[in-house]
Amino acid sequence: MKGKHRIVIQNNRLHYEFEVKRNISIIQGDSASGKTTLINMLRQAENLGDSSGVEVVCDVPCRVLEGRNWKLILENSFESIFFIDEENAFLNTEEFAASIHGSDNYFVLITRENLYNLPYSVEEIYGLHASGKYHDTKKVYQQMYQIYSNTGSIPVKPEKIITEDSNAGYEFFKAVSEERGILCESADGKSNLFAALDGIGREEVCIVADGAAIGPEMNRLYHQVIKNKNIHLYLPESFEWIILNSGLIEEKEIKEVLKKPEEYIDSKGYLSWERYFTKLLMDKTGISYMQYKKSKLNPFYLHDRSKRIILESINGIRF
Amino acid sequence: MLSIYLGKMDGAIYHPPTYFDNQYEDEWITEELSVCMIRDVDHSEVVSARLIESPVLGPISTKELSGGVKTLMLMAFDGTGKVFNASVCGDNCAKWILEIANRKDLTINLRHIMDFGEGGFEARILNTGDMVHDMLGFARIAGKYV
Repeated sequence: MKGKHRIVIQNNRLHYEFEVKRNISIIQGDSASGKTTLINMLRQAENLGDSSGVEVVCDVPCRVLEGRNWKLILENSFESIFFIDEENAFLNTEEFAASIHGSDNYFVLITRENLYNLPYSVEEIYGLHASGKYHDTKKVYQQMYQIYSNTGSIPVKPEKIITEDSNAGYEFFKAVSEERGILCESADGKSNLFAALDGIGREEVCIVADGAAIGPEMNRLYHQVIKNKNIHLYLPESFEWIILNSGLIEEKEIKEVLKKPEEYIDSKGYLSWERYFTKLLMDKTGISYMQYKKSKLNPFYLHDRSKRIILESINGIRF
Repeated sequence: MLSIYLGKMDGAIYHPPTYFDNQYEDEWITEELSVCMIRDVDHSEVVSARLIESPVLGPISTKELSGGVKTLMLMAFDGTGKVFNASVCGDNCAKWILEIANRKDLTINLRHIMDFGEGGFEARILNTGDMVHDMLGFARIAGKYV
């Protein structure tokens, strides 16, 4: 499934309204913010239709996935948005993660657990809040807000950079850092970022990670950022997105894709957006002198002009 | 005294709100502690053991309280010695977990890093035996297990 989907779920007292644009969105946040009520309303609408008194407006079916037959339901469903409440223990299983892989559906997962086997975006972790009464005095208007909107003050002039990446992205930042006397090390994977912060002193540190898939790590990284003012998170979609977004590769189609990636990225083919951006960059640079390989950085990207264009586009770090 | 087991825990009640619906006692609801927790977390008033007044939903039953406040009541009043998954509780329940742990020995299971706030608090991490005294210390250990 592709695209951004606006969802309205309402009854006489509550009005939920939000948009989902990636295959995985997470809802967490405070207790009593209406998460379970949202699921209950959706379940009633699904079971009873108009007779439920719940109105669901969306261009694709919105359904609740629960119970023992979840896998069977999923295997036979297409172009739907599935909401799953935290009571379903299958949420954090490998089996569920495997079922999402290649699925033609979007998923809205209600859980505070960190689902390490799913690559979800930092931008798609939400809380629910009441934004006031709606139209009349009876109805409460519920909206989603991004939980990780504050990831440390950026842009930052770092003394040390830690990259999630160990390949091309790391090579780029290491080369740039060496020229400027900045330390740069690779955590060798996002799951090692938390451990990499152990032993950090007072130096200004910037973590560079793929925002498109860093979601499961945010709970533990965020507490470090909040408590240590010298730790900053720079979370572009991915290193490949940085290159695409820089304008170094002059292609009209790239600009169009980056304006609304959700209209191009099919959940069936790409579990998370950074995989699409990697493929797009590889496709657009082909076998030319610009040819991009994730495993080893093409020296073209370290030529003065290339480097300047890429660095100028990076808004999270001051080099 | 608060004890915390981090990560998946055998025998812990994974979804306490469901357990609450099937096991709660009417008298828990009208306890002063419950009345205060329901007012603070759910912004609702206890009318009687079987009736709550919610500003959003109107008159509701006990079973329509939030999962967070149901879990807090289990922590406070359940006498079976079961350990409850506190990751169904939002950060707005954290101060009440500390309050309950001030009144009795309380063991909880956490599968995410709950924010216990800016102030100091005392908790024993059962995975390591360490005592933690604030969020910085707690998050450093918890990040290894959740």
